[in-house]
Amino acid sequence: MYFFVNNIKKSYNSNSPVLKNLSFSMRKGEILSFVGESGSGKTTFLRSVSGLEKLDKGLISLNGTVLNSENIFVKPQRRNIAYVFQDFPLFPHLTVFNNLIFNLDPAFKKNIDDLVDVTGLKTLLNRYPHQLSGGERQRVCIVRAIVREPELLLLDEPFSNLDKKIKKSIIDYVESILEHKKITTILVTHDINNILNISDKILVFKGGVLQQYDSPQKMYCHPSNCYCAELLGDLNELNFQGKKHYIRPEHIKIVERSEYELNIIKSLFQGKDYKVKATHNHNEFHFYSKYFYEPKTTLHFDFNPKNLIFFNKKCESYFT
Amino acid sequence: MISVPLLSLLSYSNIDSFQVINEKKYLFFTSSINTFYLLSITILVSLILGLFPAWYITINQFKFRKTIDFLMYLPLAIPTYIMAFSYGEILSYTGPFQTFLRFYLKPISNFFNRDYLTIEILGIILGLSLYPYVYASCRISFSLIGKTYLNLSKSLGNNWFKTFFKVVIPLSIPAILSAIFLVSMEVLNEYGAVKYFGINTFTTEIFKSWYALNDESTAVSIAIILLLIVFVIFSFEYFYNSRFKFNYSPNSKIDFTQNNNNIILPYVFSFFPIIFGFFIPLIFIIFNVVDNIGSFKLVELTSYTANSIIISAVSSSIIVLILIFILFIDNQYRSSLSKILTLLTSLGYALPGAVLGLSLIVFSKLLNNNIIDISLIGSFSLLIYALVIRFIAVGRSPLKSSIDKIPKSTFEKAQNLGLANYGLLRYIYIPLNKLGIMSAFLLCFIDVMKELPITLILMPFNFNTLSTKTYELAVEEMVDLSSIFSLLIIGICSLTLFSVKKYLSE
Repeated sequence: MYFFVNNIKKSYNSNSPVLKNLSFSMRKGEILSFVGESGSGKTTFLRSVSGLEKLDKGLISLNGTVLNSENIFVKPQRRNIAYVFQDFPLFPHLTVFNNLIFNLDPAFKKNIDDLVDVTGLKTLLNRYPHQLSGGERQRVCIVRAIVREPELLLLDEPFSNLDKKIKKSIIDYVESILEHKKITTILVTHDINNILNISDKILVFKGGVLQQYDSPQKMYCHPSNCYCAELLGDLNELNFQGKKHYIRPEHIKIVERSEYELNIIKSLFQGKDYKVKATHNHNEFHFYSKYFYEPKTTLHFDFNPKNLIFFNKKCESYFT
Repeated sequence: MISVPLLSLLSYSNIDSFQVINEKKYLFFTSSINTFYLLSITILVSLILGLFPAWYITINQFKFRKTIDFLMYLPLAIPTYIMAFSYGEILSYTGPFQTFLRFYLKPISNFFNRDYLTIEILGIILGLSLYPYVYASCRISFSLIGKTYLNLSKSLGNNWFKTFFKVVIPLSIPAILSAIFLVSMEVLNEYGAVKYFGINTFTTEIFKSWYALNDESTAVSIAIILLLIVFVIFSFEYFYNSRFKFNYSPNSKIDFTQNNNNIILPYVFSFFPIIFGFFIPLIFIIFNVVDNIGSFKLVELTSYTANSIIISAVSSSIIVLILIFILFIDNQYRSSLSKILTLLTSLGYALPGAVLGLSLIVFSKLLNNNIIDISLIGSFSLLIYALVIRFIAVGRSPLKSSIDKIPKSTFEKAQNLGLANYGLLRYIYIPLNKLGIMSAFLLCFIDVMKELPITLILMPFNFNTLSTKTYELAVEEMVDLSSIFSLLIIGICSLTLFSVKKYLSE
């Protein structure tokens, strides 16, 4: 495996470890999205991989080299890992160009022109960071990281704090560059919807414990627990053959008659359709429809049992 | 307040002044060379002593870190002239250093038997005394840089050493320049130490021409040249700093990530400045006091201490009152006039004491010749006036930064709740800036307590303070007898400094 994390543990105080026995591996060129709530230990993980934090236990290896183990600790400046920090820091005393070539090996200078063209930074090279917008700063940070052809790229919340329009263009830039350069990337985010399209794998992390590590499609259709299922979209609870099951809103079909009944609360206009909010057996229920339904209307629905998601008791919440 | 004495000085100068400069080229040349040479050595020494400890103390967590951090500021409690008198004696042939060598290390004692009253040694002594300006400025700047830029630099392949020179120093240039500016102003202002070491600088030449040679035009010419030099340095600092004031994005505090192998370095770096900048002169002074305990007169001690405390307290109170008023107006109205007023308050510190003293004598002479009959020279009010002008900038910094921390919306909310200017001042502005006001008062108090040249020029007849008495005895080769006055100054200033640190950390 190209990137390998085995049984790593990190705690700031002995009572509550931030990372608990985390293990996973990645192939070269893969893009992994590391998903978790704020404060769940995502940034600590990135800092540990980059060498800014030392692990309490476990092993990290990259491209056949052990970076961190019981006896080995490779300093951050000696790891060929690029880290794009959450708040997109640029050195305020340097121009965009000087930020890009900061401590850059001359062998990589040939990459600058190409990347600057792709990201539209050509006209901004002589500006200082305070003369840039948020999106421009973000692009400079990403290019600065990629230009040195790292063995691993770490992106910490690269799409947070951006408005919708800039967010879309930044995601497009990142996707095209990563695809073009085939850089193995770990992307940390708390908002999974931004990265579904660009991730090869998603790792869901909560309370310091790995919840699921799978492809986006598999995670959506076969979530390992209720927490992962809800993370990827709305989930409706219903009783099927005497057991509690779950189903995604898009798998609900409105029919004239069936044993499953719904009471409409509200129809929310979303442009191409309505997201309808209702109750079923006193539980909140969602589905999508082309039609507007008046509140208090009673409807019947049906579904394909293949689309039902079932969790055993251990998986009804999240793994601890 | 500030411009009146300067305008008087300029109006007193005439075409003769420039002829004087031409006639006494050699004098000006020697003073210029000495002043700039002394300035360069002092700046270099204070940078070495202040910069590296500031960095290591900022990024390392180690035992006694807070204590060492406080001790690093203590040389501020010892006036430069007392430091120079003490080291002059310590290094002299009959002083403890050479006596020790003659007794215990005879073979090398001859090598060290030399004249230590040189400009190079004075530069080192002034550096030992003034490095806290660099240390204080850099400590704040290094802490503000935060860990993001340091981590970023590391993740881009730099080690700590490269990070320090490629990131930390460039980002701290405004702070370092401000510190160099303050050190330069102190050196240009220095009189007691340079006089004791027998070095001719602009300040000593002003004193010599005015008092010893009664040559007014030479004194005024030198004062104008000194003023021009100060103006050039002030403008350079002002424009360079406004160009390079970097806006850091919100940043987290530096975490202490240094490994234990390097943990000896903060002790090594802070050992030299603390020991040589504070404890050695202090111990020497204490020994002198003990040796001469019988020769001190209590009445004299009480009277000079009271005079020093009264002058310091009165000047500091006036400074604080003026600042509260000016900064309140600036905060409330933010007009260009109020901006100019607040900028002018920072100019006072740039005026060397000798120039200011001379300007006020000229001013009162002009006043006496043209408007009023009573001479202000030698009056208590003229002395206080000069001290207020000179040290108003010292009080401005803590009070301004305290005011800047209060969001403007606080005042807007209070106005919205019906408070007018007086109410705002009484119920919001003063209570919220209590610590800033206190720190401003105490910092001014320390500086006035240590001040020498202005008090020497403008003190009323038969009136002495601790600083003037220390100087008087030291230049008459009675350093041992002056030590009790030095000790009192150091004691009062150290206690005040401790209170400032306490207020600022609150």
